[in-house]
Amino acid sequence: MNFDPWIWIGALLSLAIFSFLYKENPVYYVAEHIYIGVINGYLVTFYWHNILVPILFKRLFSGMYLLIIPAFIGCLYFTRFIPRLSWLVRIPIALFMGYYTGLFIPVTIQADIIKQIQATLLTTQNFKMWNAGALGIVWSVILFVGVICTISYFYFSREHKGALRVTSRIGIVFIMLGFGASFGYTVMSRVTLLIGKLQFLMGDWLGIIK
Amino acid sequence: MKIFETLTRIDRRIIFLALGGLIIFSLLFPRFLKVRVFPPVAKLYEAVDKIPPDKALILDISYGPQYQAECEPMAYTVLRHAYKNRTKVLALSLYAEYLGLAKKVLDDVTAEYNRNARSRDDSLIYGRDYVFLGWQPPPIIPILGMGESIAGVYQIDYYGNQTDTLPLMKHIKNYNNVSILVALGGGTGSEKWWAQFAQRKFGLRVGAGCSAVLGADYYPYYQAGQFTGMMVGVKGAAEYEELASSRAKITAERVASERMLSLTYAHLIMIAFIVIGNISYFVTRRKK
Repeated sequence: MNFDPWIWIGALLSLAIFSFLYKENPVYYVAEHIYIGVINGYLVTFYWHNILVPILFKRLFSGMYLLIIPAFIGCLYFTRFIPRLSWLVRIPIALFMGYYTGLFIPVTIQADIIKQIQATLLTTQNFKMWNAGALGIVWSVILFVGVICTISYFYFSREHKGALRVTSRIGIVFIMLGFGASFGYTVMSRVTLLIGKLQFLMGDWLGIIK
Repeated sequence: MKIFETLTRIDRRIIFLALGGLIIFSLLFPRFLKVRVFPPVAKLYEAVDKIPPDKALILDISYGPQYQAECEPMAYTVLRHAYKNRTKVLALSLYAEYLGLAKKVLDDVTAEYNRNARSRDDSLIYGRDYVFLGWQPPPIIPILGMGESIAGVYQIDYYGNQTDTLPLMKHIKNYNNVSILVALGGGTGSEKWWAQFAQRKFGLRVGAGCSAVLGADYYPYYQAGQFTGMMVGVKGAAEYEELASSRAKITAERVASERMLSLTYAHLIMIAFIVIGNISYFVTRRKK
């Protein structure tokens, strides 16, 4: 067994959080409140020492006075606490949204739409991307059909009758497959977290596994 | 019929207990499962394996503690592989909060490598063989800026050194001197940004290692060639470990592979509960 006090704190807090699986209890709430308090305290001090001091204050006091402008705009976020001035919060939000919208719209169109459409086309290059030899054509056709049918499911300007009904029904199958894959991966991810935590408890704390 | 009614009302705590018990059992009696390597991981391995001597690997370690169990084995095995080939490595993190985890991986693997080194030339030396660039805000700026000048964006490294004075950085100026970037991340989506900005604008090859939660979202990027290769969750890390062990003869601990048995048991029991639950539901519904 490890007698490092930090390991003990980590282990006991982990057990306290796990106790929620049985039922809600005061021990769980204590651990939860400690977690929220610690993470907030950590982030406030972290951002102070790693962002505000080196990037803002040090540069400001070494003569980069133009930094007063972004600092002032950033401080406008706090006007939310003063009802009479709370409208000023729109200025930093507008700048923030404008910057990221401008940055991401062209990128999203090119990387997430045009490039993805290109990958859906039935071309020799795309067949090869499957690494499946002659079967690459089959997979590419399935992908093509899946994309068209899924899009047709989201076409709501006409009633889903006739051919549109058929394609939208096929689209549902592909959507369900997508949800199934996402769910399966999510389960895998969460179970891995559990395994990691149990390894910590049984290995680092109790020392009964390597 | 009564048994099916009982099964539909099974207490969730019994499921938790069964799952936890099975994982504990598999950890107490570990066994390696042979992992089948799939093309996304094989392609990433090939890309890292074939980095020319004059080019570097950038390793972006941007995962937090909540994804450490999945992404940390990826970081360890990719770094071990790169060091084994004496590939020059630039490590960074797009988020300040995750620098500690990035440094841990870098320190551990470097120390592990240097323990077996016989001379100074054989050792990994900071500034000559690897550099920890640290972090620059906000994430998109370094991704775009490094295409022009890496030392221009990261003027000082994590340890406070002037980056342009480091011997390695005299050769590694921008993405033209980088063979591939491997981005490891959890829930931030930073791997996607590398493909959206660096791959699209500068043609940088990007490999991804992500939490399994993001796996289904990222396959289209791999399919479209925006990711050169990818590892998804602990299974992806185990596949890479398998290749590193069998091809590069890396003998280090295989954390992800060790977790595969527990993961398999957990999946099997969950499938069993889903099947039992569905059968019970349909049987009792027909009765009603």
